[in-house]
Formats: sequence, C-alpha cells, structure tokens
Amino acid sequence: MIGVSLSRWTMAYFAAAIVALLLSEALMVAGYGFPALPVQAPQTLVLVHLVAIGWLSLLLCGALFQFVPVLVARSLYSNTLPFPALLFLLAGLGALLIGFLQLAGTIDFAPSLLPYGAILLAIGFALVLYNLGRTLWQARPLPLQARFVAVALVCLAATVAFGAIFSFAFGTTLHSDALLAIAGQGLPLHVSAGLGGWLTFAAIGVSYRLLAMFMLAPELNGRRPQAVFRLGSAALAVAILGGLASLLCKAPVFPALLIGGALGAVALALYLADAVHLYRARKRRIIELNSRMAALALVSLAASVVLTIVLLALGRLTQQVGALVFLVAFGWLGGLGLAKLYKIVAFLTWLECYGPVLGKMATPRVQDLVVEARARRWFVVYYLAVWSATVCLLASQDLAFRLAAAAMTVATLAVAVQLVRTRLLSNVAAASRLPGSVGRPHLLICMPGPNR
Amino acid sequence: MFIQTEATADPKSLKFLPGREVLCDGPLDMTDRDAAACSPLATRLFDIAGVAAISFGPDYITVTKNDSDWQHLKPALLGAIMEHFMSGAPILLQPARALSPRSQPGSPETALLGARVTDALRLVIDPELGYNIVDLGLVYDVRTEDGITSIVMTTTTRGCPATNYLKEGAHEAASSVEGVKAVEVGLTYDPPWAPEMMSPEAKGHFGIVD
Repeated sequence: MIGVSLSRWTMAYFAAAIVALLLSEALMVAGYGFPALPVQAPQTLVLVHLVAIGWLSLLLCGALFQFVPVLVARSLYSNTLPFPALLFLLAGLGALLIGFLQLAGTIDFAPSLLPYGAILLAIGFALVLYNLGRTLWQARPLPLQARFVAVALVCLAATVAFGAIFSFAFGTTLHSDALLAIAGQGLPLHVSAGLGGWLTFAAIGVSYRLLAMFMLAPELNGRRPQAVFRLGSAALAVAILGGLASLLCKAPVFPALLIGGALGAVALALYLADAVHLYRARKRRIIELNSRMAALALVSLAASVVLTIVLLALGRLTQQVGALVFLVAFGWLGGLGLAKLYKIVAFLTWLECYGPVLGKMATPRVQDLVVEARARRWFVVYYLAVWSATVCLLASQDLAFRLAAAAMTVATLAVAVQLVRTRLLSNVAAASRLPGSVGRPHLLICMPGPNR
Repeated sequence: MFIQTEATADPKSLKFLPGREVLCDGPLDMTDRDAAACSPLATRLFDIAGVAAISFGPDYITVTKNDSDWQHLKPALLGAIMEHFMSGAPILLQPARALSPRSQPGSPETALLGARVTDALRLVIDPELGYNIVDLGLVYDVRTEDGITSIVMTTTTRGCPATNYLKEGAHEAASSVEGVKAVEVGLTYDPPWAPEMMSPEAKGHFGIVD
C-alpha cells in the first residue's frame, strides 16, 4: 500500500503527553525535586519519569504510530493496539510515580507499587514495540530513516529492561548478584539508552524526513547520514552493551560511557551538519513556524554537545549532569516535539476533516488551521525560558530556575491552547470551517470520514 | 569536461557540444522560461540574461540569443552547462510526454474536455503545501477519450498520509466535469516529484528561486 491511513489514537497520545509536560513544569515551578533536592531523590525521580515517559515517550509513540508508516510507505501493523498500549502506559506511569512517592514518604502504604508500575509499563511498551516492530519488519529492507527508528526501538527495550530491574530492586528483594550490580550502578546506562538511544535516535531519524518534507529540501541518504547512523549505533552499542559488560565484570562503566559518548558526539556533530545542509538547500524559502522553531531545538542539541564537552573538560560533569539532562530533555527533545506537534496536529486534523471532501468542494489549507503569529511569541518565550533555566541550574540559582520554569509553563500552556484551537478548527474562517458533510473533529480520536 | 561550440546558419544561434548525451529523444525546443521548467539545465540557461530560446538535441544544446553579444554571453553559457553536467542533475525532470498535464492532441472537443478536467483538478489542494495539485506539478498526465478520463499523478513524498485522499479528490474533481463518463486515477513515483516541477506561479508562492 503506497498511501497510509491516519493513526486513530495519535491525538490521545499527544494530549496525554502535553498534560504530563504541563504537570512536570508545574512541579518545577513549585520547587519539587531537582534542583532543590538531589538528582537521585525520589521526588526528582517523579519529575524525571513524568517528563521521560509521560511527555517525551508518549509524544514519540504517538508520532511514530503515524510516521513509521510514512517512513516505510506501509500501513501500521495494527491501528487497535495503540489504545490498550496507552492505557497500560498511563497506568504504569501512575503506579511508578506512586511508587516513587512511597519511597519519598509522601504516601505511606505498602507494598511498593514500583514493580507493578514496571510490569504495566513493560506491557505497554511491549505492545508499542510489537506494533512498530511488525510494521518495520514487513518493510525490509528499511530506508535509512526507518533504521534509526529500529535502533531506537531496541534502545527502548533496553531502557525498559533497566528500569524494570531498578523497580524490582527498590520494591522487592533481588537475590541475583548480576541484577543487583545493574541496579546499583546501571543508572547511566538507563539514561543513555533512554535519552540517547530511544528518544534522540528516533527523533533524528524522523527529523531527517520531516525537515526535508516540510521545507522541500532534498532527502539525505548519502555518506554523512549513513555515517550518523553507523557512528550513533556504535556509540549506543559501546555505551550500553559495553557498560553492561563492565558492570557484570565488576569493572567501572566510565570508559565505555566515555568512548560511547565520544562516538555519539561525532555522530551528533555530523547530524547537525546535515540539518544545517537541509535548511540551506531547502527550496521553500519562506518556511513555516514548525521548521523555524525546530531550528532552535537543533541549537539546543548543539549547545548540549558543547556543554557536555566543556563540563567533562572542567571535571564538573557529575555535578552538573542535571542541567545537561534538562537542556536535552526540554531544549532539544521537548522543543523539537512541540515544534513538530504544532504542524502535525494541524496536518492530521486537516486530513481527518477535509481529506474526505477533497475534490468535491473548496477546502481550507492546513495553514488556515493555525495562526502562526499568535503561536510564534510563545515558542520564543519557551526556548528563552529553557535556556535561562539551564543557565540558572548551572549557576545553582534555584529561585531564578523556578521563575524560568514558570515562563516555560505559561508558554507551554499557550502553545497547548493553540493546539486545541487547531484541533477544534477554531482558527478556520467560519464560512469555510464546516462545509457540506464535514463535522467537527473529536479532540482525542482521529475518525476520518465525512459522517463521523 | 571540454565543451565545443559550433556556429549555425543563424548568427543568433550557437551550438554547444558537451561531448556527452544531452537528450536522446531530442530535439526539444523551449522558447520561454515556462517551457523550460521541466529541465534544470534549460532553467539554468534561461537565468542568463540575453537567452531567447534553447533546443536540446541528442548530443548538443542550441542556444538562441536576443540582441546580446556572444562575447559576453558565451562564457556564462559554458559555465552554466559545465556546472549542470558536473552536478549530475538530470536534463529533464520527467518524461517529455508528462511535461504538462494536458489532454492528448485530438479533436477540439477532446482537447477542451481535457482542459476542463485539468481546471477541475485545481480544486484539489495538497494539504501540506496548501496549493493546488496541478500547479504543484503533481498531475503528470490527463488524457480523455470518449469521455473516459485517465489521470496520472504523484504525491510530494512516497507514503504521504494524504495519498489516498488526493487520489480520491482527483477522481471526484474530474468526475464532476460535464462530459466525463468515467475516471481512472493512476499513481506513479517515476519520476519522483521535485519542486522544480511547480508552475512559475506556485514557485513564486513558495519563494522558490530557480
């Protein structure tokens, strides 16, 4: 099948992701967890997992259900599985967060919900992996962009496995020396597999295609993107598998992380060079807001690489890792996610509402579903707030960090309002909003067809 | 790469021989920028001030100038031809028969019907770009015979979620034309779509500079 259909549950994933982002930002404004408390504090773990699973992973899963089929020009294996997967992921995240609150002493009851959270999350992510994995498997040989996603899915499995081991170590009694070794020192591997492998590698693969598509730039499949894929995959293999082997051999994991990090930095530098090339070689001189804001996410990624190197050189990486992870999560991944969300919500809503009447009557354009001028200022506020918050973290200015987080929250809320307006067709001129049999779309579910 | 030049009977025309195949199905004559939109090389040559017409043959390119001086024009033309062949870009972006979405030559009635179908297809917009599929160059061919219309089209990217909607939209739009009894819409990715296939108006809309 050359054309692919709309992913029914993608909007629900996006909605859940935005709610998680707003909650996590509100917690930061309230001074909950890091930086007021250490990185390892249970309160910080609440915050981190709300961002990593609730915001970024749900966002990426929702996007992949729609865009893996685009990357491989095949339909999604199942349009039904995403819904139970979402339920398991939300239930698992809830249980995990309650488990952390039990650790923090905020909630006082036994037994620990951490293992239950891990099991529910593992089932949810297994459904995601099965669905996307079967879609990719049927499309072999995979195009380059889809291979990035395939590696990212393997890293997701690794991340979930590490997380499950931690949860069982915290919530039950482990008797295996190997599992205890992983639970004791495997955190950097969990973070590398999650942030680097799952989230960043998938974002790179999808962005190669989306940036080219949205800017009418030539698709890149040459030596440099191939090198990004090979170096990046090697970096992840060295960091995760090498680190794991070191742990099991009771050796320090730092050398594997350092070598993996060096390979990863080269891969990211090459990826950034490709991204710059895409912007320069674009045919569409006047680009849309999503492409302009994605450029700021790429700036955040470049800043993250430079910051890592500088902190490493200064011997301050361990102390400042919180600021670095913050910049990666909110500047690079979060910024790119919000920017692309702004386009994807409009695009999918248009397809759902106006696709079925195309050719029968005049239809608005995707661009008519959004008001870029209104959203632009909030995107700018968001990025400025993220960068300011990173500086505040580096300078240990907790109060200033909370103020910056407040600006992030306001900006995110404003972008979220724009997304809801887009989804409800509120920006489309009344005369052309609902022609003929077109009905107003459901906020959370895509139901293509004129007679919804 | 060495490009030879050869004088022609017309002093306003000069033949350039790049020493490699140009257009095996030639000659193809282009007398203005619109006609040259199908060819990156012709577009590049029309960018040079003073070029009035271009013709591609099997192994040559003939350039006709207006009142400009060959002394100034020739180095620019040589440079443009050299740059094109070094870039590896194709001579034509699509087979010559699909250069513009119009009905095949035939009776005036058939030609008129084809033109009306093409006009009707302008109702269908590519959602991502927000412009009609005809001027975007997504419609490769429109043929009508005895009221049966055959449309060959593409999408901007393979696997685009809008593909089926665009096909059905084209079908609906063509079916609405009086005199059309049946419509067939075929999808092709050979050649793949490129922004160069847009009409000058569409290019202007997106700020695309040749």
